[in-house]
Amino acid sequence: MKWFWCLFFALAPILAMAVSIASPGYGWWFPSEAASPLGQRIDDLFYMILMITTVTFIGTQIGLVYVLFKGARRTDADVNEKAWFSHGSHELEVIWSVVPAFILLFIALYQLDVWADYRVKNLFPREEMSKLLEEKLHQKRTEHDSLALAEVTARQFEWRIRYPGFDADGHLLPLMPEPQPTDLYAVNDLHMPVKVPVMINLKSQDVQHSFFLPELRVKQDAVPGLVIPVWFEANHQRSYALLCAELCGWGHYKMKAQLVAESDEAFLEYLHELHEQQFFDGVAAEEASDDEDE
Amino acid sequence: MNTRSTLIIASLGLLPMLGCGNSTPQFSNRQEFHELEPFAQEYVGEVLETYFGTPTESVAWEKLPLKFHYADTTVAGEPTGRKVQFSLTDAPTQIGSGTEVVFLTAEQRNLASARIREWDAETRTATFETKLANIPSTGASALIGPGAVLKDGRMLYAEHCQHCHGVSGDGAGPTAQYLNPRPRDYRLGKFKFTTTKYEHRAQRGDLARVIEEGIPGTYMPSFKLLEPAESEAIVEYVMWLSMRGELEYVLTTLLKEYASEYVAQRVADGESYEAIRDKFLADIQSGGMSDTVQEQAGYIAEAWAASQTPDALVEVKVKRIPSSPESIARGRQLFLDANIKCSQCHGEAGYGNGPQTYSMMPDADIPGLFDDWGNPIKPRNLHTGIFRGGRRPYDLFCRIRASVKGTPMTRLDALPDEDVWHLVNYVYSIPYEEEIAGAGKEAQAAAPAEAEPVQPEKEVASN
Repeated sequence: MKWFWCLFFALAPILAMAVSIASPGYGWWFPSEAASPLGQRIDDLFYMILMITTVTFIGTQIGLVYVLFKGARRTDADVNEKAWFSHGSHELEVIWSVVPAFILLFIALYQLDVWADYRVKNLFPREEMSKLLEEKLHQKRTEHDSLALAEVTARQFEWRIRYPGFDADGHLLPLMPEPQPTDLYAVNDLHMPVKVPVMINLKSQDVQHSFFLPELRVKQDAVPGLVIPVWFEANHQRSYALLCAELCGWGHYKMKAQLVAESDEAFLEYLHELHEQQFFDGVAAEEASDDEDE
Repeated sequence: MNTRSTLIIASLGLLPMLGCGNSTPQFSNRQEFHELEPFAQEYVGEVLETYFGTPTESVAWEKLPLKFHYADTTVAGEPTGRKVQFSLTDAPTQIGSGTEVVFLTAEQRNLASARIREWDAETRTATFETKLANIPSTGASALIGPGAVLKDGRMLYAEHCQHCHGVSGDGAGPTAQYLNPRPRDYRLGKFKFTTTKYEHRAQRGDLARVIEEGIPGTYMPSFKLLEPAESEAIVEYVMWLSMRGELEYVLTTLLKEYASEYVAQRVADGESYEAIRDKFLADIQSGGMSDTVQEQAGYIAEAWAASQTPDALVEVKVKRIPSSPESIARGRQLFLDANIKCSQCHGEAGYGNGPQTYSMMPDADIPGLFDDWGNPIKPRNLHTGIFRGGRRPYDLFCRIRASVKGTPMTRLDALPDEDVWHLVNYVYSIPYEEEIAGAGKEAQAAAPAEAEPVQPEKEVASN
């Protein structure tokens, strides 16, 4: 019986390894490949940590199984072996404190720049973002204007989006912190230019929500009372899932939206379309498209 | 293991199943229904079950102006036993493998329906699973997916809507009690935010817009990611629930003389209970009641059908007048006008605190305003910048012209289009007022759009 249990506990880590190796093939893994450059770097970090933990896991499991079998062998009648009393071994204590400490310190330092690039405002790709706004989207802006292209407000249970609108000459205006008469509104459908860093301002109208773009590896809590800038860059021209990742109430599951990454021209066209819909006055559509500011 | 521990383990295993009793959804009935005498309840219940069925076994009543089927079409080309082509201008996307087809010609009527194995959307040709016993003739009418829209609608409604709006559309689902404003009770046939005239009901487009865009300022979220066909199916189902509720409402109102209270009164006055009941049963026997049911259902169907026509839409003859300080000032003047009465409820400054909000309405117990569903309501505070029924100028025009249906808001039929636009411009300007209107700085407050956009005070998180 004792050999059965030894084998049983030896098989458990082997099974765990087998399942882990088979997982990606069955789709029990990341939601697709990282669809943003930063997401790729986050994945790389994940894989590095996965490798460290895998080596640690295999090492400790081999040790455990070895001890298991050795201990079981000692209980045989013909064996007369004494156990090694290791309690209080200074050397061992130092080794298993210092080695993990170095590994953790290494991880802590190694991930710093990814974290900083994602979260530290001074390190945001500001130049690229302002280049997009000025040169591609022809936004009339000063250096004080926000780099954000939209304000996303989470509320129970949907994502309300506010884009800056156009001035009388059809130029894109900068996004203001407060709503403007020219602003354009949408819900659950966030459009952004593709292959270029873009920024949104994240707000919450009621409780805590979390802005989650799984394919882009972007997750940021929306906190009531705060305006949190979030930047991301989508690699492909397609739509991505936008979900809430913070249990925000009974309708949490309803907060399903999409991010549509499209070319600069298509993005501007989308905003123009929104403009036309939003200023529809019930007369003929082609006449109503003229710019009215109120 | 002894018996007791076996029992404990067995009962622990049953724990997760607590609350999973008989979960077949049932239509509930209105309060007025329960006030009727049992014999009248039985009759109304029977009528509703005959023409509408139950939530799981719904009946597609042809009298109702609803799109129950994927397609109501005719056979085209040269039909064979396995392949039939249909004349459809655009093929509904839901048709596919497994869709049922019923042929409605005389010789096919009694045959079991056929199921599509392959559907060619290009040529609108169906290949059937089994060979048709009788080959339909060219031009024969056929229903593709009979009742399927209603069925799809029910599944989607159960998934997305039911927990607030309730199985019967009574706005009393399990989560409804936590919400303010309450979810819409469809059973009066009234929907607040429509683009139709005051006397008309909602159009399909109005309901679809609410489903897709949600209602900001309320708990109604946006269901933007639904496929258009899914949203359409939900709209049909909501209209169907609405018609069912309306028929129930009309019948319970018509049969009010058989409410327990009145019957008890009549018995006390000397009539015999049996005589009252027998008169009612005789009325049913003679078919008089069923004529009434058909007639009332006809009115409901007509009202809904009439509301779907372009003529039912609020008409805008004059293009929107661009916003200007003059227009806003004129709008403000109209807003305060004693005959137009906006400020009676919305308040002189638009905070939704006009004198009507604390006056006693004719048959109310407490002061304030009530909607047709009996809920206390507040006139909109126009300073929030939230437009529940949509923020397009056309939406605001419809609200002012045709009111918010089911609420005490008055319609302004006689007001010229130009004046409605002035009011719209004024309403748009209110959220941007820095001073309370009427506080003595109208000229400045009236032209917010001309003001410089608000600059961020410091380079806060926005940058």
